[in-house]
Amino acid sequence: MFYHISLEHEILLHPQYFGPQLLEKVKTKLYTEVEGTCTGKYGFVIAVTTIDSIGAGLILPGQGFVIYPVKYKAIVFRPFKGEVLDAVVRQVNKVGMFAEIGPLSCFISHHSIPAEMEFCPNVSPQCYKTKDEDVVIHAEGEIRLKIVGTRVDATGIFAIGTLMDDYLGLISN
Amino acid sequence: MAEKTVVISQQSTKPIKIVKWKVREGFSVSIGSVVLLYDFEKPEKKQQLKLKSSHAGTVCKIIAQEGAIISPGESLLELKACIHPTVMKDMCAECGADLRKDDLNSTASVPMVHTVPELKVSEELAQKLGKADGDRLLRDKKLVLLVDLDQTLIHTTNDIIPPNLKDVYHFQLYGPSSPWYHTRLRPGTHQFLTNVSPYFELHICTFGARNYAHKITAILDGDERFFSNRVLSRDECFNPTSKTANLKALFPCGDHMVCIIDDREDVWSHASNLIHVKPYHFFKHTGDINAPPGLEKHENDEKEGVDLSKMCTIKDSNETENEKNNHNNEDTCDKNSDTFNSENTAEQTVESEKINTNSDSEIALKEVNGEDKSDSTIGNKDEVLDKSKIDDKTNPELLKLKNENDVIEVEDPDDYLLYLEDILIRIHKAFYDEYDRLESGEVPDLKKVIPEVKSKVLQGCKMIFSGLVPTHIKLHHSRAYQVAKTLGAIVAQEFEDDTTHLVAVRPGTAKVNTGRRKKNLKIVTPDWLWACAERWEHVDEKIFPLNSKGSKNRHPPPHCSSPEHIPNYNVHETPTQRKRSSSGRFIDTINPLMSFSTADIADMDKEVEDTLDTESESEDENAKALKSNILIEVKEDATSTSSSSGESLTAETPKGYKRNLKKRNEDEESDVKESDDEFPSTKFRRGEELGSDLDIGQESNSDGSAEPPDEIDDGEWNMMGAALEREFLSN
Repeated sequence: MFYHISLEHEILLHPQYFGPQLLEKVKTKLYTEVEGTCTGKYGFVIAVTTIDSIGAGLILPGQGFVIYPVKYKAIVFRPFKGEVLDAVVRQVNKVGMFAEIGPLSCFISHHSIPAEMEFCPNVSPQCYKTKDEDVVIHAEGEIRLKIVGTRVDATGIFAIGTLMDDYLGLISN
Repeated sequence: MAEKTVVISQQSTKPIKIVKWKVREGFSVSIGSVVLLYDFEKPEKKQQLKLKSSHAGTVCKIIAQEGAIISPGESLLELKACIHPTVMKDMCAECGADLRKDDLNSTASVPMVHTVPELKVSEELAQKLGKADGDRLLRDKKLVLLVDLDQTLIHTTNDIIPPNLKDVYHFQLYGPSSPWYHTRLRPGTHQFLTNVSPYFELHICTFGARNYAHKITAILDGDERFFSNRVLSRDECFNPTSKTANLKALFPCGDHMVCIIDDREDVWSHASNLIHVKPYHFFKHTGDINAPPGLEKHENDEKEGVDLSKMCTIKDSNETENEKNNHNNEDTCDKNSDTFNSENTAEQTVESEKINTNSDSEIALKEVNGEDKSDSTIGNKDEVLDKSKIDDKTNPELLKLKNENDVIEVEDPDDYLLYLEDILIRIHKAFYDEYDRLESGEVPDLKKVIPEVKSKVLQGCKMIFSGLVPTHIKLHHSRAYQVAKTLGAIVAQEFEDDTTHLVAVRPGTAKVNTGRRKKNLKIVTPDWLWACAERWEHVDEKIFPLNSKGSKNRHPPPHCSSPEHIPNYNVHETPTQRKRSSSGRFIDTINPLMSFSTADIADMDKEVEDTLDTESESEDENAKALKSNILIEVKEDATSTSSSSGESLTAETPKGYKRNLKKRNEDEESDVKESDDEFPSTKFRRGEELGSDLDIGQESNSDGSAEPPDEIDDGEWNMMGAALEREFLSN
């Protein structure tokens, strides 16, 4: 789910940037440091929308670096258990398939793929398909899935999904 | 883990009627899968609703029957809780349970997907998937082929090479300032993959890093036709020096349908389903950049391949020089129109050396020498190997510089993949012939089929060797014998009536002379045998006649000697382990003297006594000591039967010592056991001879208790130690 929330971040700035462009530098540094990161609590920071305030800088004694506390608003993407999302299939194999929802990677076990879909390793590209080839899911295909679990670690969030519910599966245009 | 059961009960507010169960006992159910179809008891209009499972697991008991009417809250079925058969990053992929948090352990342990080691499945599921894979392969009449990258299909270097070589791909893996990789595909790689893929399911199995492996895969197989994510790289390998460990995980039902092509056997523990590929060498001075740590091999790194560094420096230095070089090169090509690659490279180097005389002529000269040497060693082989190929080549110049489009095209004499393709297709045919023959659905094992195919190569050939096996090695232990045997030939020691081949290193040997008189005997150089082993086919003997030059390749190239078993060489017999002495003293148990043979100890005795002679009497009797030493020598010659300690008797020894020895000699003769309570160490200290397999606990004959051991003081003990030390150091 996407949220627009207020967040805080501290920017550590080298003294070489002290000058008329200082606050600009703080802003650009915020964008580069924050966008695309992931925390367990708020999920992926997709984009900073507004910078609300840049607090008073604190010069670190002995170093000359300065710390600015920055308050900003950002759009974050936080996946939840039970959430239904659209994803792009990245890889299909005999154990299941991997899909991506933007920055979120997701695995769907073949047990969580409807039983009428069979894995076909011989066709290129490999795919899951029904007997009558009505539905064919292969890499780069778009699917709708439901998240059944998430794993948050230092580098990101990983999700487990399922296609076993109504209206899940291949998105046909 | 205790099996938990979950009861699924009726959740709706109205009573329902079960229309049809969609599951049976033993079925596995995941979250959201349909369990039963139901209808409300008194429907306004007839409909069928689906009841979905809220839990994952396997059905262990169906409580309600079809047609029964279930009021809200009543239980419908019992589910055995999810056993987490598929786990991704410690999270069950079936039910989403966090296996780290809940202290749940999972049975999932087999990483079945090449690229994702975090994804694990349980043993049973792995078996099931493996079986499905096997069945599918049999149905499609395919086999599995594990393909190594480095030096099998490609050759990669980090050296500086010209940027405009044909068929060389350049890439960086780790950002803009990381080293450049230059990869050359083995000639015919695409053709090989295309031709082999209908018969084999191709997997990549390399020791390159994941980035590297995927990059190369993208180059080899842009549209994922051949490998489609079946790439196993160093990052996914369990063992940094062996690829064997991963086989069990990738093929849980056994590797009987797995064939391997690799340029090195050791990483596969010399498996019999491995086809040892001739290593591909394109860039000189570069071996396998991804060799497992500590197992780098350098056998041909300096010998084979094209030295492009020279070309590069020339190009960089001056464009006009380059043109001149180009011109010269064409001239040389015109002059001797049937030069071979290596020779041509040598020419090239000579040219460059001429140009670079001012700078590093010395190094270049060295380079040329090396080149010449390699010519003489491999040129011969190339000559014969490639003769057939070269004959139909319209343009024999192998290295040409095209200035117009500025692409350097280096022609590569390597055509091994053609043979490899043939080998693989033969193996495939043999496997499925065998499978069809068995009929019962039994699956043959490639580990048996492959050696069988190989042993048909020279079936019916009866050969003898001449000059191939060094005299100190038994025929059966020689590598040539092993090679011939794996190819199915019979190797005899001497001529027999039906001998078909004589493999001779040089003309003029007795066997060759006898062989010349025989009809139907083909006399060939060992290169013929190596070529057969390399290509797995009965190569025409006419290409390898024994001429006056003979052959220098007495040893098989490393890639075609895959002995089925390592010959047992006689191991040195180690001295039998001594038992712990009855005295129980530590010094006795670790005494290094205990492990010496009788002769050794006798020698030591002698040396010690020599030292004693010189040292104890050095104060005033140097000359005398010297004389006595000579005396010992003389005596030794004269009476070789007497023990060494007896010999040393003649030397000037301390009084007590001498007396002691004398007495002991007498005792030995009379063989009287006088004392029971003496330790061997004490005995040895007196310079007495010890049996090599002396059981210390046993009483042995020794001199009388009349001789108190304190006659030999610690000083003597120390000196003996010093003498021993000297002996150790000198050895």
